[in-house]
Amino acid sequence: MALVNLSSPHHHNLSKTSRLMMWVLLATLPGLAVQSYFYGYGTLINLLWASALALGFEALILGLRRRPITPYLTDGSALVTAFLLALALPPFSPWWLTLVAVLFSIVFAKHLYGGLGNNPFNPAMVGYALCLIAFPVSMTQWAGTETTLTFGQQWHWFWLESVNGGIDAWTRATPLDLMRHTKGLTLNEVASSNPQLGLGLAASMWINLAYLLGGLCLLAIRVFTWHAPVAMLASLGFCAGLFHMGEPDLYPSASQQLLTGATMLSAFFIVTDPVTGATSRKGKLVFGAGVGILVFIIRSYGSYPDAFAFAILLMNLSAPLIDTYTKPKAYGHQPKKPHSQGDKQ
Amino acid sequence: MHKIWNFHGGVHPNENKTQSNQLPIVVMPTPKQLVLPLSQHIGKAAKAIVERGDYVLKGQLIASAQGFVSANIHAPSSGYVSALVERTLPHQSALSGPCIVIDTDGKDQWVELNPATNPESLSKQELLNLVHAAGITGMGGASFPSAVKLQLKSDIHTLIINAAECEPYITADDRLMREYADQIIAGIRLLQQLLGQPQCLIGIEDNKPEAIAALRLALSHNMDQHTNIEVCVIPTKYPSGGEKQLVEILTGHQVPHGGIPANIGIVCQNVGTAKAIFDAIIKGQPLIKRITTVTGKAAANAGNYEVLIGTQVEDLLAFAKVDLTRTSRLVMGGPMMGFTIQDTQTPLVKGTNCILAAADLELAPVADHHACIRCGQCEVACPADLLPQQLFWFAKAEEFEKAQDHNLSDCIECGACAWVCPSQIPLVQYYRYAKGRVKSINSEARLAELARQRFETREQRLVDEKSAKEEKRKIRAVAAAAAQAAKRAANPTEEDPIAAALARVNKQKQEQQTAAAPKSPEEAYKELKTAAAITRTKLKKTSTALANAKAKDHELEASLQQTVDQLTVKAEAALAELKAYEAKLGLDPEKEKTLLVAVAKTNAAIRKLEKTLATAEDPQALEKDITEAKAAHQIATQSLADHQAKPASAQES
Repeated sequence: MALVNLSSPHHHNLSKTSRLMMWVLLATLPGLAVQSYFYGYGTLINLLWASALALGFEALILGLRRRPITPYLTDGSALVTAFLLALALPPFSPWWLTLVAVLFSIVFAKHLYGGLGNNPFNPAMVGYALCLIAFPVSMTQWAGTETTLTFGQQWHWFWLESVNGGIDAWTRATPLDLMRHTKGLTLNEVASSNPQLGLGLAASMWINLAYLLGGLCLLAIRVFTWHAPVAMLASLGFCAGLFHMGEPDLYPSASQQLLTGATMLSAFFIVTDPVTGATSRKGKLVFGAGVGILVFIIRSYGSYPDAFAFAILLMNLSAPLIDTYTKPKAYGHQPKKPHSQGDKQ
Repeated sequence: MHKIWNFHGGVHPNENKTQSNQLPIVVMPTPKQLVLPLSQHIGKAAKAIVERGDYVLKGQLIASAQGFVSANIHAPSSGYVSALVERTLPHQSALSGPCIVIDTDGKDQWVELNPATNPESLSKQELLNLVHAAGITGMGGASFPSAVKLQLKSDIHTLIINAAECEPYITADDRLMREYADQIIAGIRLLQQLLGQPQCLIGIEDNKPEAIAALRLALSHNMDQHTNIEVCVIPTKYPSGGEKQLVEILTGHQVPHGGIPANIGIVCQNVGTAKAIFDAIIKGQPLIKRITTVTGKAAANAGNYEVLIGTQVEDLLAFAKVDLTRTSRLVMGGPMMGFTIQDTQTPLVKGTNCILAAADLELAPVADHHACIRCGQCEVACPADLLPQQLFWFAKAEEFEKAQDHNLSDCIECGACAWVCPSQIPLVQYYRYAKGRVKSINSEARLAELARQRFETREQRLVDEKSAKEEKRKIRAVAAAAAQAAKRAANPTEEDPIAAALARVNKQKQEQQTAAAPKSPEEAYKELKTAAAITRTKLKKTSTALANAKAKDHELEASLQQTVDQLTVKAEAALAELKAYEAKLGLDPEKEKTLLVAVAKTNAAIRKLEKTLATAEDPQALEKDITEAKAAHQIATQSLADHQAKPASAQES
């Protein structure tokens, strides 16, 4: 038998990118389940639609780029983008909104930059941010938790944006929205004038806890390291706590900040995106902390209901700079001057 | 218990050690042929001191170390040197290099050995000399000459014996420790003696309980003596046997970047080296054999073999009953850092610790690699605490400066990053490529710098020489001017010598012209003809030059045009003069030409007729024709002679 000439190592632990992606997809399932429990079939329909679109667009653009289709299509990265988008979009988003978001994510944010591994911005967040700016009304249509549509009604809404059965006035602002748009009133006043707020907050909390569970599973099987999510949650919690201590009537508490909106989904599924985040452990800490602080600032003073898309895109932008300043001290180098060239004599 | 530290990163590949560590070491019989590369160590190749046809004894020096970093090579068995040739070297590149080939005679006859009778009394230098003479190199794989490593200026407080054997599959050190623990301890004591009695830490992974027990037993035998040797059991983790990693595990200190363990008072030696030092000093035997593991699913008799250095791989594989038809990948060394060989005649050398004859699918298949998603698994695994994903990126983009800035040179090529990479990227290959390029770029830069310096020195020298010349010239000129002035001052009436010389030349010319003797008409005619021809040629040449100048739009065009005009006039004048003279002499060159042609024609006619006469059927008729032609020829000749005679007669008249 002909003897091959290969470079070391000749061993491999046989891990695969597609398996990592599969774990990420599986870890979103608790969140998906809880979200569907509170808001109905919308997220599920969106998820299937987004997945089909993502695979379709991925195959199309791979074909246009003359890249092998099967290996890239089966690496699962397009599905992860689709899942994240579908989970982040409101459950009541119509078909075209998802289409625009997926198209922009896969074709523009991912492949025009060179495809998997080369995109500087998180594709899902680019698609999300685009829709948020272009279609702010559709992007903030969160139904009240008490509104339950049958699958048929939801399906009808998804394609035609109307509900047969004549239910109206069932979408409303999210808890985060409410907290913002009622500045001048204390949170207690808002809560008392909006009995739905409490319900919304409760739903939001359960959803966030479900994503936290999924994220902890990923952490346990070492799909990513703890640095970025912990830094993000810590910095967001710290800012929220600090301001809440100062003016509890105006600023929600740390626990409210951490368990509303897309906090946990972002912390464990988006901030941890290795392609667009910082590289080293120290860099990941800086990256996560930056996202947390930006989220707090945009939530408190910005004009958008949730802040993750923008916070993450801004930090994606800074990731190369963070990398430059957070190189780890390699073995045998002096701890105090890791960038010094002098020790090379 | 000695405290154990941890190092960053590391991986846990399947150990696969039980395939080969169950049976005692088997001594392989002397093969028919031994191939000894002159370069089987780091540093300069040894120089052969035997010739083809020489008979050598076992243990006889056959190649001597050259320079500081080099090692002696000895004959592993007795026999005849059959060749000094280039053979495939045990290296990834499969390049050839000079080797001594010995055809063994089966007698295995030793050269006279000189074991140390009283080793305790040997001085450091004596021990060092013995280690050097025995040709001992690091037995762990890198093959650095041990005598060089032990020849230290700085004080050593710790001797680390590397018994980690962290590579999967390899069990050579494991078996060695189980079977030769006493000799290893004795070798370590010699090393301590050589290094000034530092403490000794034996670093051994906890997956070798039998070896640990054997070492501890051997140490307890030595309890009567004062020993400061400790067996330190460390957790099994690849690559804890890397020198730098082992130093950190056992001492908590890191070897400084670009330095060696001796910089922090530590010396590392492989456990096999300790045994080789024992053999060299106590038994007097040079390094001619070692323990090599043969393993892999294609090996029916996987195990450890005591082999002579220079044994060819195929002989060992045949002895270990390796089915070569079952293996597609033959790895020399372990699966993490070893290299594949294709030539089964490659010899085993001092550093060969393992031959892994892997069956298909036993090792990682060659997979198409995917895009790097910067998942960071490699960073978690890297024992040098580098950012492998960034290094990969820089190597791929050929951004070698950035790669260096990210400490490419600290990569020990252990392969942990590539082992964990979910995209299955051959990362180590990228780093080796980048290192190679950095090396060649640096050497090119060095050469360019040297060339620049040489060039600048030369330029400077030329400028210096020129200015020195100029200086001398100036001095001479000043001196000459001074001398001239002095002369003139001494003799003011003397005229300018140049003007005088010119005047002399002109005078001579005039004299020549006036003194010219009256010419004969023939001579005058000839002179005129020559003058006309010369002006014609000159005109032609200048016209060509003018045409060229015009074509190239040359600056000389105008002056050339002027010359041409002048020459045209001159040529016409010369021609007119000639014509006038011809008229005066009554010459008619045209007529002369026609006459000459007539003579030639008649002559040719005669020749032709005479030729046909030889084969003619009617010679009579031809004969007549010839006579007529001859008459015509005579007339033509006569008229030509008359014509040519004219000038003379013309002058006479």
